[in-house]
Order: sequence, then structure tokens, then C-alpha cells
Amino acid sequence: MIIKVISIIVLPLIALIIGFFFLGLSRKVIARIHRRYGPPISQPLIDVIKLINQESISHGKLFDMGVILSLAGSVILVLFIPFGGIAPLATSGDLLVIIYLMLLAPLGVALSGGEAANPNVSIGISRKMMLALGYEVPFLFSLLAVMTWYKTTSLVEVVKAQQSFLWAIFYLPLPAVAYFMILPAMLGIRPFDIVSAPQEIASGTAVEYGGRYLALTTIQHAFHIFIDIALFVNLFLGGGNLLTFFVKMLVVFLLGLFINAVFPRLRIDQAIKYCWKWPAILALVGLIIARII
Amino acid sequence: MQLITILVVSFLGAGIVYLTGKFSGRVRDISAVLVSLAVVILVGLAYNQKIYTNFYSLPFLNLSLSLRLNYLSWFFAIIVAGIGFLSILFSLEYIKDYQGVGFYYFMMLFVNAGMLGIVLSADFLSFYIFWEMMSWGTYLLISYKGGKAVAAGLKYIIMSVAGSLAMLFAIVSLYASYGTLKFSSLASLLQIASPGYILFLLLMFVVGFGVKNAIWTLHTWLPDAHAEAVSPFSAVLTGVLVRMGMYGFLLIMYSIVGLSLLHKLGYGLLNFNYILCWIGAITIVIPTFTALLQNDSKRLLAWHGIGQGGYMVLGIGVATSLGIAGGILHTLNYAVCGALLFFVVGAIEHRTGGVRDLNELGGLIKRMPVTFIAGLAGISGLIGVPLTNSFVSKWMIYKTLIMENYPFLAFAAFIGTWGTILSVYKFLHNIFLGQLPEKYKDVKEVPLTMQIPMILLSLAIILFGILPGIPLKVISGIEKSFGVEPLSTTMFGMPKEIGELNLINILAVLLVAGIVVYLIFSLSAKSRRVNQDDNYAAGLFVPRGKYQYSARFYDQAYRIIGPYLHDVVDDFYYWLVGKSKSSFQIVRQIYTGNINTYALYILLFLTLLIFVKLGWGL
Repeated sequence: MIIKVISIIVLPLIALIIGFFFLGLSRKVIARIHRRYGPPISQPLIDVIKLINQESISHGKLFDMGVILSLAGSVILVLFIPFGGIAPLATSGDLLVIIYLMLLAPLGVALSGGEAANPNVSIGISRKMMLALGYEVPFLFSLLAVMTWYKTTSLVEVVKAQQSFLWAIFYLPLPAVAYFMILPAMLGIRPFDIVSAPQEIASGTAVEYGGRYLALTTIQHAFHIFIDIALFVNLFLGGGNLLTFFVKMLVVFLLGLFINAVFPRLRIDQAIKYCWKWPAILALVGLIIARII
Repeated sequence: MQLITILVVSFLGAGIVYLTGKFSGRVRDISAVLVSLAVVILVGLAYNQKIYTNFYSLPFLNLSLSLRLNYLSWFFAIIVAGIGFLSILFSLEYIKDYQGVGFYYFMMLFVNAGMLGIVLSADFLSFYIFWEMMSWGTYLLISYKGGKAVAAGLKYIIMSVAGSLAMLFAIVSLYASYGTLKFSSLASLLQIASPGYILFLLLMFVVGFGVKNAIWTLHTWLPDAHAEAVSPFSAVLTGVLVRMGMYGFLLIMYSIVGLSLLHKLGYGLLNFNYILCWIGAITIVIPTFTALLQNDSKRLLAWHGIGQGGYMVLGIGVATSLGIAGGILHTLNYAVCGALLFFVVGAIEHRTGGVRDLNELGGLIKRMPVTFIAGLAGISGLIGVPLTNSFVSKWMIYKTLIMENYPFLAFAAFIGTWGTILSVYKFLHNIFLGQLPEKYKDVKEVPLTMQIPMILLSLAIILFGILPGIPLKVISGIEKSFGVEPLSTTMFGMPKEIGELNLINILAVLLVAGIVVYLIFSLSAKSRRVNQDDNYAAGLFVPRGKYQYSARFYDQAYRIIGPYLHDVVDDFYYWLVGKSKSSFQIVRQIYTGNINTYALYILLFLTLLIFVKLGWGL
């Protein structure tokens, strides 16, 4: 019981540190690929501390509550995803619950942004929704392939089954590749940074955020990176102990970054068509194989 | 006796309300509310009782009309009574400026009484009688507003009659084969019937109930009917009336035919249940994505009504303990969310002068905060956001589909949810969020009698979302009566052997996380409250009140999926109607409208009979 309470407190902190590390690292790595020096790795953390102390504007109650809901939703999601064998709430919710809890964060941001009458926010929300519809198709195929293969909906069981034998990526390479292909879309990084698109729609949903609002959304983004990659490591790369889990996450993140740092941004219709084409086909074939064998 | 009291109160009450309306509008309104409340109380008191009564006998057919109460009928009866009461309450302010209010209340109560009759019937004859009362009452109510509504009503009644005839065919065949129409006797008699005959019966009833429950290919009446009916009745339509089809499915499939017999129908994957599952899956996907393209708020919800019905059919089609429970629970959950959302649309219509076009609305959150919260609860429930009611029922359906190794059906259910998210978010955003158009600057919140139903239903969404054990207890009882292994449940979710779901823990961590985040939020530097129009647009000035940014909200997606979502079934029916017009002209020549011709027909028929008789005599 005490261990559980401690892990409930510690796990979000670990996730936060890793998330911020990844945020900083991505800026550094992308800068180097673009032949710039880039900011220090701690830059996102410094930004958040600065932002918390800055005055901002608010458009109303829902504007505040949406941001809070979004971050709280991400925090609790961390507790359901096993990290190096720690999963304090795994008995309270399985993969199906995780899929649905992943809704809270975008819903919160969308509600919050909606209270402002900013055209860029509305465009950002509609793009986020459409993009999500795009990547959910291969994402759900991939998850279903894993769940069908291991005959369980529990993420802990999936990890356990992989640790006793081969990782899922060897049985289900196609869904794993499909998940990897849509990972940038889920994270909202290039070439899928359509939702924020700073040069087009002035950061989209985040345009009205300043000060603490921007700080909380940055923290939420850090959690979000942790969640999406940790889910991949759990589903396909066999989890691991604290250290190997982190190393696996790092490898996945860097691989994704290298590939995606060199592409220009897609348009939203191109992104939907992309998601529904190759990743979806690969994941579907993977699911058919998982169902038949 | 108790059951007869319920029906007498509801039917007689409808008449009394109509009569009082002749004298005083106020008394009529109050008595309508009281009658519907009395029905709720009477049904509520009958909880956990098993009753069977004959109330009338027909000696010439050797049949008796009878009523019965068990868990299944109580479950549906309480939904009917509850939603009925709330919609009457909602109607008080909504309907008062219409013509023929007395008739409206009479029909509302009459249709409610008809539905109660359906779920309380113990034999197919009373079932059919009440079914027809409901169907025809519904026709009059759909057409209540006149104009386009008449066409919608006509479309409904034609499909409904076709369905009823299919059902009547099966009922007559049952009577001819077994000489009884009592559910309990038929359930035992049918156990030795041939699979072919069972399949025939099921197909006929599926057509009958499928029209009501709007399963795909029989759904085309529903969007028009829901959109054109007055909003309180749309709530009844979507929440309970359409779900009478669900009740019918459960009755014929599990209460009468039974699970063991169902398993024998078909070979391998080509069996009755599997095909029903796929019909359910198609009913989820196509209508949900069609809803995405709608700009009329009521049409959007109507298409969701069809789509959510698909989840129910899918749930009961899988025929596992978890699946059946999920399907039944989803019926309740959708009744709550669907009715709530139609109330929300009704409230918006009431305050904006009947505007339903999503492209014309916007920014009403500050003007109508209660309605907004109800709308938010409603769409969360419809999506199945964790801690709202539909989450539990959808979880149960997904879980059983995955465990039974039907990943493609599970995918259809999942992707349907994503279609739901997109379209209902648009619904919420375009009505309540974004820019407030100039003409709605002075819109006020709806009166209290309209708020109360919305608040109650919003609370129900949260309550059943955190304590699914309450309805699941009744559902376990229903499953026991079906002879299915009853689902073991806990108050806050599922026991370990079924799966990992504990809602109270999810609620607790969400609350704690929310409080922690809120503390960080409130300890940070304060923010300045600004006007909604105080916007940053990359350094440019945003013109106020001129544009509607959320018109064609998902334009890029429409262009991709739009071409595939044409309602081909509806087109086919219209094509059929167009083609058969000429043949109906021939029929019309038989019905000349001249009394002499009819007399001739009677004479010819009698002659024929005499000849036949003589022929046999020889």
C-alpha cells in the first residue's frame, strides 16, 4: 500500500523529468541537424519557470478549467502505463481505459481554447480533431493487433508476456512500424505540426495562452511525449526495468526525431490521407495476421 | 393489479389531461406533469417484483391478453416513464406558443402509455396492439409541426407499417403453429421447433424491430423524423421509443428463443448472431460518420441515435454475458445522453427562435451556462469520456469483442467513437464556443422547468458513470431471466476476473491530480480577465462579429470522406417508390371509390366461395 502511494507520487515526477529532457533534447538535436547551435537542454524547464511568474490573460472559467483538465488528464494517464515494472493503477484500468483517458488532454485544450473567439484557435481545434481521426485508424489497428495476439486487454499482461519470451515487435512487426510511423502525428511534431503551425495559424490552440497557461500546456506536452513513447515501448519493445525502459524510450524518440527533423510540414488533408494509407494498411495487415495465427 | 393500475393511470391520465385542456391551460399543464410523475412513481414502486396477470380474454380466439413484470420489463418501463416525465416537464415552456397544445400533451402521454404497454405485455397480441398504438401516436406527433414534418411522419409510418406487417406475419404464424401467443408458453414450445422456422421467425421480427431500432438499411426514416419533430418529443423518440426495438430484440432473441437455440442457427461464421453483429457494426460506422457531415444540430444527433443503436445491437449480438449486459446498459446510457442532448437543442431553439443550423450559432456559453454544462455532460456521455455513463457500457462491449476474438468488430466500434468525438465536439463548439454572433447578444438562459430535466439527466450521466453497479444489478437480474450466466459486478466497476476497471480509483486520482494542478495554477502569477474578443492573431486585427470561423468545421475531412457517405439506402428506397408508382396506378383502378364496384367485388367473392364450397362438396 505504502509502495503504491509512493509510486503514485514518484511516477509522474519521473515522467515529467523524462518529458522535459526529451523536449530539451529535441530542440538541441533539431538545431544541430539544421546546423545551428541550439538552446541548452534545460531550456524548456527554464521557460516554464519563467512563464509561471508572468502575468497572462484569461477568457473565463472554462478557459482555466480546460487547461487544468488537460494537464490532470495527462498526469493520471502516466499512472496507468507501466514504467519499468511500476504501474500503480494497472488494476484499475486496462488498455481500453488508457485509450479513452488519452482523450482528456485534447478535450481540455479544445474546450479551453474555444472560450476565446480567436479564429486561429478554432482552426487549430478543427485540425487537431481531423489529425486525430487520421492517426487513430492505424493506432487502433496496432493496439488491436497486440490485444488480439496476447488475448488480453491488460497492458501489464502484455508486458509480462513479452518479458518471458520475445518482444512483440518480432511477432507483430507491421503494427509496430505503423505505430512508429504515426508517432510524430500523435506528438504533433514535424511533419505533423499542423495543429500548432506557428507560421500559419500562430500556434493554433495555444495562441491565446500566456504565462501560467502556456506553462501548464508545456508541462502537459512533456507528459504527452512520455506517454506516447512509453506506450510504444510497453506494447512492442517488451517494457524493461527502469534503466532499459528509459534507454528504449530514448532510442525510439531519437529515431523519430532524426527522420522527422528534415521533412517540411504536411497539409491537413495530406496528413489524413497519409495516415489512412501506409500506416493503416500495414497495421491492418498486421491485425489480420494476428487474428489468423 | 399493479400493472393494470400503471396502464390505467397512464392511458386514462392522457385522456383527462386532454379534457382539462378544454377548460384551462394551466390545469392541463399541471395535470400532465402529475400524471407522468405518477407513472414514474408507480413503476418505481414495482421494482424487484414478479407479477403476472390476465386482464382480458378473447374466447373466440381462445387467447387471453396478459401482462407481466420482470427485470427486463421493469428496466425498460422505468426508462420510458423517467424520460417521459422529464420531457413533459421540458415541454411546459417549450410548447406553450404552439397550436394544439392539449393534443400534444395527450399524444405524448398516450405514446408513453403505449410504450409501457409494450414492455409490460406478456403475450404477442397485447404486444402488437400496444405496438401499433405507439407507432400511430408517434406518426401524429412527428407530423405535429406541419410542413416538412408531415413528409417526415409519412416516411416514418410507411416504414413502420412495413415493419409491423413483418412482425404480424410472424405472430400469425406462431398462433397458427402453436395456438398460443403467451411469451412463456412459446419459449418452451419453440425449443423443439426446426432451426429453419426459428430463423424465419427471427428474420421477421428483426425487420419489425429493426425498423424501430433503425438498424442499417432500415434506418432512413429516423433522421427526418428526429429533425422535424418538436424537441421534447425528439428526446423521447431517440431515448426510448426507438429503443422499443431493442426491447423487442432482447425479448425475441433471449427471452423467447433463448441462447442455446440461437447458437444452432447457422454454420461456422455464417450464423445469425455474427451477421447481426456485423449489421450492428455497419450501423455504428456509416451513420456516425454521416453525422459528421451534418450542419443541422438535430439531424446530427439523429444520426448519432442510429449509430449508438449499432453499439447496442453489437453488444447483444455477441451473446456473451458481458456483451449482452453492455448492450442493455448502453440502451439506458444512450437514453440519458440522447434525451439530454435533444433537450439542449430544444433549449437553444427556444431562445434563438428555432435556429438549428450549426453554422449560424456560436459563443452562447456565457449566455446559457446551465445549458452549456448540460451539453458538455451530454457529449461527454455520448463519447464515453471516462467517468461518464457510456464509458462503462462501451468498455464492456469492446472488452467482450476483443476477448471473443472479433478485432474487426471492435475496430468498427472504436472508430465509431472517434467519429462521434469529432461530430459532437463540433456540435458543442459551434453552439456554445467561439465567437458570439451580434444577434444573440441578448439571449438569456432558459427557464427553470427546462433547466431541471437537463440538470437531472446530467447528474445521471455522472452517477451511472461512477457507480455503474446500480443499473448493472438490474441487468444481472435480466440476464438471469434469459438463462445467461449473470454478470458479476461491483459497485464501481468490474471484478478482477472480468477485467481491470475501477472507476472510483480513476475518479480519486483525477481529483487529486486536478487539485494539485489547480494549486500550481492558482499559486502562479495571476491572469487578467479579458473580453472574449480580446484576441491575438499574429499581430493582425481580428474583425469582430463578422465571420463564423467554425462554419464547415472539418472541411478537409468532409472532402475526403464525404463522397463515400452518400445514403445509398435512402436513394434506393426513393428509386423503388418512383419505379413502383406506375404499378400503384393499377391498384388504384381496383379501388375506384365507387360503391357499386365494391358491391360487385363482394358479390364476386361470395360466388367464388360458393363455388369452392360446391367443388369440395362434390
